Amino acid sequence: MSTSMGSPRAPLPERVDIAIIGGGIMGLGLAHNLAALGQRSVAVIERSYLVSGASGRNGGGLRMQWGDAGNVALMMESIEICRGLAQELGINLWFRQGGYLFVARSEASEARLHRNAELHREVGAPTRLLSPTEAQAIVPHLDPGPIRAATYNPEDGVVFPWPFVWGYAARAIDRGVVVRTHTEIVDLLPEARGFTLVCASGERVSAERVVNATGAWSNQINRRLGIDFPNRPHRHEILSSEPLRPFLDPLVVDLDSGLYFSQSTRGELVTGISLPDVDGYDDDSLALHSSLRFLAVLAARLTALMPITRSLKVLRQWTGPYDVSPDGDAIVGPTPGHPDLIQLCGFTGHGFMMAPAATRLVARWLVRGEAHPMLQRWDPARFKGAPTSRREDMIIG
Amino acid sequence: MSKPRPLLELASPLPADEAVTLEFDGAPIPARAGEPVSAALLRAGVLATTRSPKYRRPRGPYCLRGECGSCQVRIAGQPNLRACTALARDRLAITPQNRWGPRGLDPTGLIDQVFRGGIDHHHLVVRPRIANAVMQKVARTMTGFGTLPDPATSAAAEARQVVHTPTVLVVGAGAAGRRAARHLEAAGVDVLCVDRRDRATLEVAAPGPLPAELLRAGVFAAYPHEGLWTAASDPLEAPLELHTIHPRAVLLATGARDPLLPLANNDLPGVVSARGLHLLLTRSGSRPAVPVVVIGEGDEAAILGEALGAAAVVGPEEVVEIHGGDAVDGVTLKGGRRIACGLVALAPIPAPTHELAAQAGITLRFDGHGFAATSDERGRAIVDPAMPQPWTLWVAGDLRGYMGPTAAAADGEAVAAALLESLEGAR
Amino acid sequence: MTRRVFVCRCEDVTLDEIDHAIARELTTIEEIKRYTGLGTGPCQGRECMVPLARLLCERGLAEPATVQPFTARPPTEPVTFAALASAQPPYTGAADDDKDPEAAR
Repeated sequence: MSTSMGSPRAPLPERVDIAIIGGGIMGLGLAHNLAALGQRSVAVIERSYLVSGASGRNGGGLRMQWGDAGNVALMMESIEICRGLAQELGINLWFRQGGYLFVARSEASEARLHRNAELHREVGAPTRLLSPTEAQAIVPHLDPGPIRAATYNPEDGVVFPWPFVWGYAARAIDRGVVVRTHTEIVDLLPEARGFTLVCASGERVSAERVVNATGAWSNQINRRLGIDFPNRPHRHEILSSEPLRPFLDPLVVDLDSGLYFSQSTRGELVTGISLPDVDGYDDDSLALHSSLRFLAVLAARLTALMPITRSLKVLRQWTGPYDVSPDGDAIVGPTPGHPDLIQLCGFTGHGFMMAPAATRLVARWLVRGEAHPMLQRWDPARFKGAPTSRREDMIIG
Repeated sequence: MSKPRPLLELASPLPADEAVTLEFDGAPIPARAGEPVSAALLRAGVLATTRSPKYRRPRGPYCLRGECGSCQVRIAGQPNLRACTALARDRLAITPQNRWGPRGLDPTGLIDQVFRGGIDHHHLVVRPRIANAVMQKVARTMTGFGTLPDPATSAAAEARQVVHTPTVLVVGAGAAGRRAARHLEAAGVDVLCVDRRDRATLEVAAPGPLPAELLRAGVFAAYPHEGLWTAASDPLEAPLELHTIHPRAVLLATGARDPLLPLANNDLPGVVSARGLHLLLTRSGSRPAVPVVVIGEGDEAAILGEALGAAAVVGPEEVVEIHGGDAVDGVTLKGGRRIACGLVALAPIPAPTHELAAQAGITLRFDGHGFAATSDERGRAIVDPAMPQPWTLWVAGDLRGYMGPTAAAADGEAVAAALLESLEGAR
Repeated sequence: MTRRVFVCRCEDVTLDEIDHAIARELTTIEEIKRYTGLGTGPCQGRECMVPLARLLCERGLAEPATVQPFTARPPTEPVTFAALASAQPPYTGAADDDKDPEAAR
């Protein structure tokens, strides 16, 4: 097993079949899956260090409990992959299937949970509808008073996000992929086939196909070619508490506020919440500042749902960008007008959990031309016509 | 277990009206009311009160002034609180954390022996899958230091927000901060000086009188995008207070703290900060009851050595290894000389406490000993132009690079004078 | 006790472990923090930041003129959820109970 997980000094080839911009979970997961299928003429170019972007800033939850069949099936696949992924990548991922517990406090949310439980049964996910008392049996410190209903899926779980990225990188490098860190792409020059990428260092890489896997930064790449997709970066804050001995098995989501919390392998409570009217980004800075407002809103909700958390202390807060698409679905596939530029973005804050399955199916499509129902749904060309009415409603945070 | 050996002793008998009794792990320990709990524990010979997260090595207090985390214990039903900043009161219950098995026989201590070559937790027992699953289960049960707070205590914890709108916020009441705050107060400026330390500690921590408006709270963040600074009361105080502060100008005098000296076995219980130990002795009316070896850098090492009555003062480059188990017992120097001791006091050159300055957008510069806040010669901070500045920012004292209490006090005075001038100019 | 030189006591990160990270070509403070866990424990980097910066400068992996500490994330002092929950609007109010759940994106 390679000891390298990418390097600022890795020599960049002049030509590759596929150049991937962005060394996050998407770019490196794709590189790993391409290499596993025999496509090893691949270079991944990361502007900063691995896990510097959203892949290093998320809460590490993986769940099957989604609001439509396509996403449920995709996540069943992702979770299945994760079961053996640590052994495949040769690195500990700390994947723990403690389940996801969704709680509903309003009638509308309760109806959503009922609908989801029905849907999950049809698709084959082991989600159970629970009474407030049953929910309390799984999370003893919950205040069951305001809870009307809950759903629980024991196969959902949490991971430690960083080793995914490192493991994908190391395994891809083992198989001949180049992973170059601390290297910014400053230009994309269209060629007869593919593009030439120009690095800030002056180096150039020609590639038959280029993958934009830069998440919340993808607009900055696309705009260099005059392309404007409707995905937009969105600030999402998160925090971790002081570490404690294990007291919480599942990741809990309060559907009505978008509050979520889980306990990491290190014992920290990792938690975030929806701030619906949070200031978005009106420029490309993607400033990742933290706010007191987030702490205050989260603390109020968390301590109401779990009164025992009142005396817990916050250890650290940080911010990461969601890459939000207008319909909540990812933007994956050839770019209209630039078929050699493949989009792999728009995952709307849930790319990490989808990456194991998503990068595998995209690799199969790129190498073997294999179709997948999600590819149709994620087609970047969909924004040309009338807006779609379907919107995934189980996007949390 | 052998009878614990006191590390400190009282310099003079405790007056009856100051005597209280702590409950340490169920056993009574005498203490002076209001002194840091660490002082009472060290006098009772209690050193190792937790274990480290990976190698499960015994750990005790290090910095003795609220910076590090290794003295964290359970206090009054709350996990992970620092014994060095908790103040003694009668029947305060203190429990060690992160231990397994019967007292003194924690089998997890063997991990340090078994993994002599180190633990790479990323690549530990990855394959086969079944072994990986077992390893993860074991790792999870050993994680986390403390346990959940007592439910009743936690649920009942009362809290309130206090809003402040001073003209000037002075962060830190050390040598620079107190002098600056007093200068501004004397000029009639509405100034709020905030420091997390209790008054008695501040009285012995630095020279000079304290400002009139002194808030005991830990300033925990600058939020320039929201135009405010925040501070929180000590978690053991009731009610809990959240202070939101909206100042026109901020003078940061957050001082400096001890970085770790990378020496062999620099984590053993009984390896402490020399400056922290000196402060604790003064604060609690105690003196060392065991030989002390000072390992230090710079001119102040010798001064600290004298103040602590040290058996020896050596430079870090002379040290081969610190020895001990549940307590430190000696230091080996190059050339083979071994000095027996009961406490090792480290005196590195202090590093500026730069975190709040960084959050506020102040540019930092590495001076070889720490990250110093940059400023013009009057003390007006140099800031990142991309960061919103709803206030003017000034820096004074050790935050600009360690200068020691005398120079820091003078610097506080000078920067306050410049700040005052700018306020008057803006009027 | 096994002889170990600690750079970060909170997370048990030794000099050897820093060397292993450097051998993996992780040579910046942010990368070493993430790979080793250095600076992510109770002291949040107060003890380890300077020894690490000094080490990287000595090894020629960082320049004293440009080396920077890792991001200083709030809170720098312990603060309880109870204290934070006491903050009044404008710091609360976005996530009140009556909010239409569909608006909670």
